[in-house]
Amino acid sequence: MGALFVAGLSHHTAPVEVREQLALEGDKVREILVDLAGAGVLAEGMILATCNRVEVCGVAEVPGEATRAIFTRLGGQRGFDLEAIEPLLYTKTEDEAVLHVFRVAASLDSMILGEPQILGQVKDAFALAQSAGTVGPVLHALMSQAFGVAKKVRTETEVGRLAVSVSFAAVELARKIFGSLEGKAVLLVGAGEMSELAARHLIDQGAHPVYVANRTWSRAQDLARTFAGIAVRFEDFVDTMGLVDIVITSTAAPEPLVRVAAVRQALHARRERPLFFIDIGVPRNVEAGVNGVGNAFCYDIDDLRSVVEANLRERQREAHRALAIVEREVGRFAARLAELEVVPTIVSLREKLEAIRRGELDRALGRLPAADEETRRVMEALSQAIVNKVLHTPTVKLRDSSRAGHGARFVELVSEIFGLSGPGRRHDREEPGQ
Amino acid sequence: MLYDVALTAYIVATAAALGYLLRRRDGLSRLSILMTQLGWVCHTVALVMRGVELGRPPIVTLPEVVSVVIWVAVLLELWAEWQYQVKVLGAFVLPVILMLGLALPTGLRALVTEPSIRSAWIWVHVVLALLGLAALVLNFAGAVMYLLQERQLKVKRPGRVYYRLPSLETLDRFTFRTLTLGFPFLTAGLLLGILWANAAWGSVFAFDPVAFLSVAMWVVYAATLSGRALGAWRGRRAAYFAIVGFCTLLLTLGVGVLIQGRHGS
Repeated sequence: MGALFVAGLSHHTAPVEVREQLALEGDKVREILVDLAGAGVLAEGMILATCNRVEVCGVAEVPGEATRAIFTRLGGQRGFDLEAIEPLLYTKTEDEAVLHVFRVAASLDSMILGEPQILGQVKDAFALAQSAGTVGPVLHALMSQAFGVAKKVRTETEVGRLAVSVSFAAVELARKIFGSLEGKAVLLVGAGEMSELAARHLIDQGAHPVYVANRTWSRAQDLARTFAGIAVRFEDFVDTMGLVDIVITSTAAPEPLVRVAAVRQALHARRERPLFFIDIGVPRNVEAGVNGVGNAFCYDIDDLRSVVEANLRERQREAHRALAIVEREVGRFAARLAELEVVPTIVSLREKLEAIRRGELDRALGRLPAADEETRRVMEALSQAIVNKVLHTPTVKLRDSSRAGHGARFVELVSEIFGLSGPGRRHDREEPGQ
Repeated sequence: MLYDVALTAYIVATAAALGYLLRRRDGLSRLSILMTQLGWVCHTVALVMRGVELGRPPIVTLPEVVSVVIWVAVLLELWAEWQYQVKVLGAFVLPVILMLGLALPTGLRALVTEPSIRSAWIWVHVVLALLGLAALVLNFAGAVMYLLQERQLKVKRPGRVYYRLPSLETLDRFTFRTLTLGFPFLTAGLLLGILWANAAWGSVFAFDPVAFLSVAMWVVYAATLSGRALGAWRGRRAAYFAIVGFCTLLLTLGVGVLIQGRHGS
């Protein structure tokens, strides 16, 4: 059996100029995989090519050789010599390779920790390799577990959950104040890319209705239409504050538009239910004292940015938790891989004995043409029981041996004794497309 | 002996819950819940055994009362943690419970032996008051969580606690819910006590500071509740009142344990 390995370059080791050149389109990648598998360099293989990493993962007799062959081909497409690429490459084998694959799939090796796209890219790369016929039992087991690990990390930690953009940070804060945003009313004062994006996110979370105020009445009407909201006269927006839960301001006004006194009044009108101001205007549209009013919360653009920074730090902490999950899974994969080694032998042993049983049973029944249904059932059950009893111990021993790390010896021995044809190595010699 | 096991389990549960608040290890959260459950079971058995030994419910002396308040509060805490799915609740409720628990050995005094007290009504009075007090322990914890989270949102520097705590809305609802749960019991318990004291002694507050303080406590909670229902006493103000109310509650229990009166010694 060859060795499992990962080799490649990523944002940790290579500049973007190299990465973007090596990230080839799918057809080329498939072609390279088919060629190298055909040449016997790769027993199994897949290539992950994104703008942040170009990696090969597979099984090969000599991983180093396979790596060089692959990157010679990849680089050759864009006129890179292997010498230019080789210093940027890392190679990991066995458990380290497994750990790496799991970390990548779980987005723990990403530029932005926990970003969600990478898992989809890994899935695509795997599907591409499957279509090229270069996926065998090892890669199959590895990737299906990697997808499981990624899901586990996503659900059990917050590494991918905390907002890393200003507009999402605003939504997250709103949720920390209001819990659910279902039915929370929003007032959008002014217009701008970031404020409209924040409003859009709030609506996606169930916030409604949306009131829109703008110095230009037609602009207010336009925006109200896009958000399926209600246009408000700019002079009236302060009164509207009493009706809403969240106020987003984004105007170019030189003086604050929202004063402490007005906020107090609005809070009184809404019986002290919290009021959340998202102030994206520069200079600020909401007076500094507003955040000091009880049950009023005001975040300006700098506050939102510092929340994003805190979120990134929290993601880092969560990544530590995630790593513990990933490391546990690496141990599990090792056990699974070891079993993989003996499973084909167990299967062929079972098939062989079953064939013998069928043959002998048919012969015996042929000699008993008068046998009734009852007799046939008894003989069927008898032969089945004998086969199962005979198989029990070898099966258990094979599994035990694989767990103890000397599965190969047992596979050899059992195949020899029972005359099994080439079991246990089937996937090594598997032809592409089979 | 079993009391000690229960208390130890509560201590471990509290430490684990606080640990979970600071460093999010799921194992700590599980350990905390498990130890809370273990402690509660031991506590239950201990209470039953004490009751059998004494030949009466163990809710006559103030230390006994505190013990049962803890017992009910732990049960409520387990329920609320499950109901509200707030994993950090234990970190706020358990320390309060533990504080009460550790104060226990200070005042193990003689029982109330006046024959007049052996009336069925007195048990109803005590049990109702106990249920109320236990809910108010949770009310206090909810208020502390609210103020912490509100502070984090106001100063805009999210710390670890910020990420663990639920939304202000959830905490406000939790505080209100525990108050509405505890207040009727407290009211009914106090009312029965007053009626009964009137019948037995002819005067309600005669020489009994506990009765006096209980009414003061009731007034604080009643004000909180009506402030909320009539006006706009929610959020921070409601939380402050919950804390003031709990302080009078502690004072009541403390005075009951330390000073002579009809409730205490």
